[in-house]
Amino acid sequence: MEKLKDALNFSDFSKAERIGLIIFSVFLLVFPVLGTGSFAKTVMIQFLLFSLFGMGWNTIGGYGGQVELGKAQYVGIGAYTVALMMVWWKAPFWISMPIGILIAVGYSFIIGYPLFRLKGHYFAIATICTSLVLKDIFDNWNLVGAAKGIELPIHDHPDFLYMQFKSDTYYYYFIMALFYIGLFYMNWFRKSKLGYQLRMIKDDEDAAESLGIDIRWCKIKAYSIASAFVAVGGGFMAVYNLYIDPASTMELSLSIKIALMAMLGGAASLWGPIIGAAFLVPLDRFLGSWLGGHKGLSGIDFMIYSALIMVVSAYQPRGIWGIIEQFRKRGH
Amino acid sequence: MLIADALLQGILMGLLFALVALGLTVIFGVMDIVNFAHGEFLMIGMYSVYWTNFFFHVDPLIALPVSAVIGVLLGLASYYWFIKYLLRGPAIAQLFGTFGLMLFLQYSAMFLFSADYRMIDKGLLVGKSLSVGPFIFDWTKLAAGILSLIAFAVVYYFLNRTRIGKALQATALNKEAASYMGIRTDRMNALAWAIGGGTVGIAGGLLVNFYYAYPMVGILFVMIAFACVALGGFGSINGVFFAGLLVGILEMVFPVFGHLIGSDFLGPHFKFTVVYLAYFIIVVVRPQGLFGWKN
Repeated sequence: MEKLKDALNFSDFSKAERIGLIIFSVFLLVFPVLGTGSFAKTVMIQFLLFSLFGMGWNTIGGYGGQVELGKAQYVGIGAYTVALMMVWWKAPFWISMPIGILIAVGYSFIIGYPLFRLKGHYFAIATICTSLVLKDIFDNWNLVGAAKGIELPIHDHPDFLYMQFKSDTYYYYFIMALFYIGLFYMNWFRKSKLGYQLRMIKDDEDAAESLGIDIRWCKIKAYSIASAFVAVGGGFMAVYNLYIDPASTMELSLSIKIALMAMLGGAASLWGPIIGAAFLVPLDRFLGSWLGGHKGLSGIDFMIYSALIMVVSAYQPRGIWGIIEQFRKRGH
Repeated sequence: MLIADALLQGILMGLLFALVALGLTVIFGVMDIVNFAHGEFLMIGMYSVYWTNFFFHVDPLIALPVSAVIGVLLGLASYYWFIKYLLRGPAIAQLFGTFGLMLFLQYSAMFLFSADYRMIDKGLLVGKSLSVGPFIFDWTKLAAGILSLIAFAVVYYFLNRTRIGKALQATALNKEAASYMGIRTDRMNALAWAIGGGTVGIAGGLLVNFYYAYPMVGILFVMIAFACVALGGFGSINGVFFAGLLVGILEMVFPVFGHLIGSDFLGPHFKFTVVYLAYFIIVVVRPQGLFGWKN
């Protein structure tokens, strides 16, 4: 109960931020009834999904300060668990998704244990390696469809148990619900003991250790929380797209996107991943559909994208939120 | 026999891998920065030889200096225009920064050259092979191995026998102490990037003789290079040479070994999985590498 109160308590934010959150929430709630097109709806669903991914990454990558570049493997685990259980055993989404989370968390403990012996660059590259190894295995594993991927059986009628709907609106509200669960969880997380321990570790690992914090265990815990978040998103991707393959769920570029959105928005802040996703997802989609559609312009969307990353990392490593805070301080 | 053949082929590839990884380890040693864009430098080296060959009909081997010069310029440009600014920020920003550079170069190449796979089809050595006893070598791979070895030796000589090279190594060992001796850190950083870009440019120029050039080719080789650097001990130049050889041999012998025992799981699809796994195991079990250097 105390935890729930903490999760719903936004009182330590400034008034402007709280008003912003309310306006944003109202907007999210009424968005589908505004009569917007299906393209806008898919963009919004992507935005909410990537915010969720980013929030997950923010635990270990933002608050913990560990450069984690292998989150895609957990998207894959979540998506594949849901898809395979549905294809093999006709398991409902509400059973397969929790199992997907459990597998992701279990796997993250197994991987995390050796992984968190490493720091800095060593760690970052090792996370990429583990993710690529899993992708290679799924790419060649015939039982799970190999590189061709798997299609989910399509039901004739909308079915809540299997999360199959005719209209995107239902998916929209579902991912929105997940988004808010994620947001409230993160609001609790940043004030929790683990949240403070992680920030301490990020600032000064030696000092944290001398205070008796079990650094490795803290990092593993944060890593598994991040993995659970991402696995939920992966499960959603499976039922939403009705088709998954290793290239769309486990690619390195997905891991990078997840980390980048959080980083660009502002790591280690509650709003960071949301701002990052709100910025990059539409940019990605619109650039992709406007420029990528033209022959001979392929790749220019990612050029703009990566130039942004370069500028941000050189001038304001704390991201867009860092810039906003800088202005606010100057205002005072 | 199969194993012996794979071993020899592996050594040739390994010499090239060592040259690719050399730049990465020099940059890491001097600046403690991991250059994710290293593979893209390789890609640009490949394209520069490819286009010189395509437009001017210059033999790919003679075009090699072009890729070296472009590599050096690219290294210097990245340092002075970008990496220098990253140094002020935290380590996480440095990682993302070079990551951004990597994506930028990848997609610039995609934009400029399209995603097509390109390979050199005419040249002095292309498509010719040499048979020595029971073994058959592609001339292109043989040349790549030997020239990589020479390039590596030249850089090794430069780093260990010349004053500037020694200054660079001094900076790598202790930046502050070196700067008190009048060695300008900024210059040494730039030199490290020039060496890194130049050597990987040459490696790219050699690689394009027998491997496709395409915008995403870098990621595979940068992962191999990471494995070599980790295996040799981050920053160690002697280490990276032997590590390169070892990775080259592993990558060639493993599929053959799998073929012999009739297992699909060790098949050619997984030859790079082995490299990733090797990296993971090495850094976890022996973070200082097989031939530890710093720390």
